[in-house]
Amino acid sequence: MEQHTHKKLYSTHAWIGIISGILLFIVTFSGIPALFDHEIEYWQYPAYSEQQNTTKAQTPFNLERALQASKDHNFNYDNYFIQPADKINNHVILAHFIEGKEPDLRYLNADSYQEFPASPSELNHLLGYLHTDLHFPRPWGRYLVGLSGMAMLLAIIAGIFIHVKWRKEFVMLRPKRSWRLLLTDQHKLLGLWSLPFTLILAFTGTILGLLGLISPILALAAFNGDVEKATIAVLGPKAEVTGEYSAVYPLNELLGRLEIDMADTSIEFIQVSGLKIIRSLEKTDDKTDDKIFTTEGTENKELVTDVGGIIKFSGYHKDKLSNLESVTYNLSTGERIHQGSFIGKGPFQRIFAAVTPLHYVLFGNTWLKVFYALSALAACGLILTGNMLWLHKRGHGMQHWLSKATLGICGGLVVATSIAFAASQVMYAFKFSLDSGLHHTSEEWLFWGSWLAMIAAPFIIKDGFKLSHYFLRLTSLAFIITLVADGLFNQRWFWLTEGWVFNIQMGILCSALVFLYLDYKMPNKANIRSAENRQDNNYSAETV
Amino acid sequence: MSLTNNYFDRLINNSASKNTAAILGTLITTIALTVCITLLWPFGNVVEKIFAGGTFFFIFWASLFYWAILADTGKQAWSRILIILLPVLAIDTVSLLFNLQIK
Repeated sequence: MEQHTHKKLYSTHAWIGIISGILLFIVTFSGIPALFDHEIEYWQYPAYSEQQNTTKAQTPFNLERALQASKDHNFNYDNYFIQPADKINNHVILAHFIEGKEPDLRYLNADSYQEFPASPSELNHLLGYLHTDLHFPRPWGRYLVGLSGMAMLLAIIAGIFIHVKWRKEFVMLRPKRSWRLLLTDQHKLLGLWSLPFTLILAFTGTILGLLGLISPILALAAFNGDVEKATIAVLGPKAEVTGEYSAVYPLNELLGRLEIDMADTSIEFIQVSGLKIIRSLEKTDDKTDDKIFTTEGTENKELVTDVGGIIKFSGYHKDKLSNLESVTYNLSTGERIHQGSFIGKGPFQRIFAAVTPLHYVLFGNTWLKVFYALSALAACGLILTGNMLWLHKRGHGMQHWLSKATLGICGGLVVATSIAFAASQVMYAFKFSLDSGLHHTSEEWLFWGSWLAMIAAPFIIKDGFKLSHYFLRLTSLAFIITLVADGLFNQRWFWLTEGWVFNIQMGILCSALVFLYLDYKMPNKANIRSAENRQDNNYSAETV
Repeated sequence: MSLTNNYFDRLINNSASKNTAAILGTLITTIALTVCITLLWPFGNVVEKIFAGGTFFFIFWASLFYWAILADTGKQAWSRILIILLPVLAIDTVSLLFNLQIK
């Protein structure tokens, strides 16, 4: 490669990194808890594991009982979703989404189908939403995340071309030399070792983030701009409400048919559209297999469906990379009206079907998720060392606003995340009622408040190295407080727990130890030449 | 005349112009190219065409970005963009009109 091309690529790599670095760190770091969203959700609320304990064995999902329970609990919506129990959360969730409002969510025991209170803690949602939407209004936050993914992709591409001595750089770390060499070596080491994962995460993340933005473009070409039509072509039809009602097709029979129609597929969501409850005063004790009835004195609640009503089962394939498998039946006749499968289809359909499984590790086992999380952590280190290198090469120390912003925002996010974890458990001591929402509100306030305080800290404490040590110790301390609070207030000392609760607690303990180790290894000062004393340009012979 | 030419040269040949070409120019060209590939993709059904366009969008964007940013001058960067954009826009217009007429 010619030197001037190399120089341009190097400069582009540096500028993309410095412009998008902080945003990219937020998205990447928050991706680690988002990866364990279900696991954290299970751990954050002790009632979930208690529900698991009351259920003797994983009982097969009973769709008719779930629908019956939804009506018994006055979940009277025409269109809603059912999420059957999975291998982590052994409860059934009913969800109805209202545009611009909080969704109506109900939690049912997977064995008795009795409703139990929702989690007062929303830690998983707090961290997950930061990763997907940055807590900005939809869809703008999602687009910003997608654009940061694109920036990451562009930086990676340039990074691949500028690191020509990659064989040597794979194993080169010179901790005893200068601070700048240490940063350079770490940047290259982290980048090279995590390259396949960061590339996958950046590409799939960009698609997930910007899909909403490019959908109208694709619909323009394929359906003359009709996005609705394009969505139906890809994801299947919607219910066509006619106002004419009939009895509901035996739904457990449909579940049985899924064994053939969606073989080797794990059902994650069931969408019910057009179901209606009809109240009549006609007295009946009739309970047949074909119809679902409840008798309340003289009032009879009969579940009927609009003749255009549908039930759509969707999930992901157990062996292949696809989370877009779906089959739609008519609710009154049981006729299969659409099958959406991406297995064995063209290469581009398979690429898109693999995007979410690849991004959120919906394949493999927990260790693969841990490996992804470590790669994301490496990517965070990559971003930080990149920013620090850029500043160092220009002779900027902690006085520079970008140094302060990098330390405050990135380091602050790490501290705030650990404080949110601690808050989720400490708040159980106050036994806030679920309706007050104080548990969740306190979590949010502590998260945002502590992050804001950490952003302000570098502007007060001038010594960046000292502050970094404080941040690392504070993070470890908050993680340890999380475990202690979990033991004190929920009686879940980690030597008494098992299953996913134990796994998450071990994850928290390991995180605390990792941050303590980083605190131990991090130097206390560095030699930074001032900008005035610098003679060479940023593209030095050492870089080449 | 030469004064106007000089002004135009200065406007288009600087780094800001090159960066604009690499960011904005490539985005517009990518959109046009995506429409083009979705319209003309010869393999598979309409869903395959949509996903082909969706996948190529990011590949086009990244490739065009580097092609423009590696140009020596802003003028060269814009030339690289326009050399793709103009024919693609023509194909898009003809194809979309043709599609409309069929429907």
